[in-house]
Amino acid sequence: MAVTLEVAGVGKDFLIPVIDSVSFSVEAGEFVCLLGPNGCGKTTLLRIVGGLEPPTRGTVTLGGEPVVGSGRHTRKVGVVFQEDRLLPWMTLRENVELVQKPLGIDGAARRATAARYLALVGLAGFEDYHPARVSGGMRQRAAIARALAVEPDLLLMDEPFGALDAQNRRIMQNEVRRIWRETGRTILFVTHAIEEAVAIGTTLVMLSARPSRIRELVRNDGRVERSKLIDGLNTMIMEEVERQQRSAPA
Amino acid sequence: MLSAGRWAARLHLPTLAVAGVVVAGWVLLSWRYGAFVLPSPLAVLHGLVEIVRSGEVWTHTGASLGRIAVGFGGAIVVALALALAAFVSRTARGVVHDALAVLNATSVFVWIVVSIIWFGLSSWAPIFTTFMITLPVVASTLVEGVESVDRRLLEMGDVYRLSGRQKFAAIVVPSTVPYLVAGMKVGFGLALKVSVVAEIFGVTSGIGYVMNYSREILATQMVFVWALVMILVMLAIDSLVFDPMARRLARWR
Repeated sequence: MAVTLEVAGVGKDFLIPVIDSVSFSVEAGEFVCLLGPNGCGKTTLLRIVGGLEPPTRGTVTLGGEPVVGSGRHTRKVGVVFQEDRLLPWMTLRENVELVQKPLGIDGAARRATAARYLALVGLAGFEDYHPARVSGGMRQRAAIARALAVEPDLLLMDEPFGALDAQNRRIMQNEVRRIWRETGRTILFVTHAIEEAVAIGTTLVMLSARPSRIRELVRNDGRVERSKLIDGLNTMIMEEVERQQRSAPA
Repeated sequence: MLSAGRWAARLHLPTLAVAGVVVAGWVLLSWRYGAFVLPSPLAVLHGLVEIVRSGEVWTHTGASLGRIAVGFGGAIVVALALALAAFVSRTARGVVHDALAVLNATSVFVWIVVSIIWFGLSSWAPIFTTFMITLPVVASTLVEGVESVDRRLLEMGDVYRLSGRQKFAAIVVPSTVPYLVAGMKVGFGLALKVSVVAEIFGVTSGIGYVMNYSREILATQMVFVWALVMILVMLAIDSLVFDPMARRLARWR
């Protein structure tokens, strides 16, 4: 079941400090969008939360259990990357079945779960297609189905629609919102598009320029009018972009 | 019904035209210099029919292919082991790279002479030569394949906690198999060419032996016949073994 995510004083240095110190917590069932200027370490932060990279400072706990680099914890995390990362030699169904193998689920149940989540993301009838035979949007849907198939405590999404055209992007945003409502998963979603974040997130975390801290944490509960929220966030992000450019080595 | 154009494409009509010119030139040269230097196409065809009828073609081709199967097969097995080592350990990868560079730089003739010294006049001489020459070719393509496994897919495997064995079976093997097939195709061509050379020394069967023997008894047309047999074997194995393999691999593309 969904659990609480605690990010406490997390920082990361790659020669220079990229993330200074970031702390926030995500309650079970929340849809958090991580925003910020390009290059502020959004993806790095997501990778640290997912246990793909160790933080230089700070801790990440998921349901009270520490998450460490290389992902040695018992909590289940699903990740949707910028690229679909489907195995091209496997059908969509086989891709979704594969990730359930380490969970010790038997073949028939794996198949049923794969069919269920592929249908949930709108891919019923395409189960036996190879990734090369379907569109980019459909591949990203399959990647979402794969992430859901492990029944994750936390679902991480790293600009999953970055490669899609505007129309498909909007369709996928609605889909993710629907999937979130239907499954009740806790989602951490990285994006640089403010409209996207405001359209789908329940909590918006705006990071500052490098070395990043939290610039603003907004509850997107409809109390602030959408257009005002978007304007405010846009102003903020422009300030941060300018700050990053000023501090950038010439 | 196929249109005339499709038939032309299927029959490689321009290639046939060039072949016709070559044969015509061949006939003229043969007529000018005599059958000992260059036997006529008809004599070669006649010789081919003769060895097929007598069954000699199968004896010698079989002997050559048998040696290739052992030498080249051994090379594939060792190449797989080397590629696995290179995948598992970074240190091993460096050693394998260096060793293959040295093997690649070694002449065929070195192995022929050395194998005669070591194994005497036996089948093991061409087998060993074939092994030593094809090993670096197959192994380098395999190691390249192992190195080009998409790290992002392996990371995906880590996210979903696939075990080492599961990652190996689901990610590493399928992305390396095309390299294996490519390496085998090139390696087999090399194996056929090299083993035949090694057969000139010390064995009494095989295409290389019989070609050299034909030269000694001044049966020049038989040299050409056996060369033709070699070419046909190569083409047949390409279209019956390697091309279907490559097509099978391309299914999901």
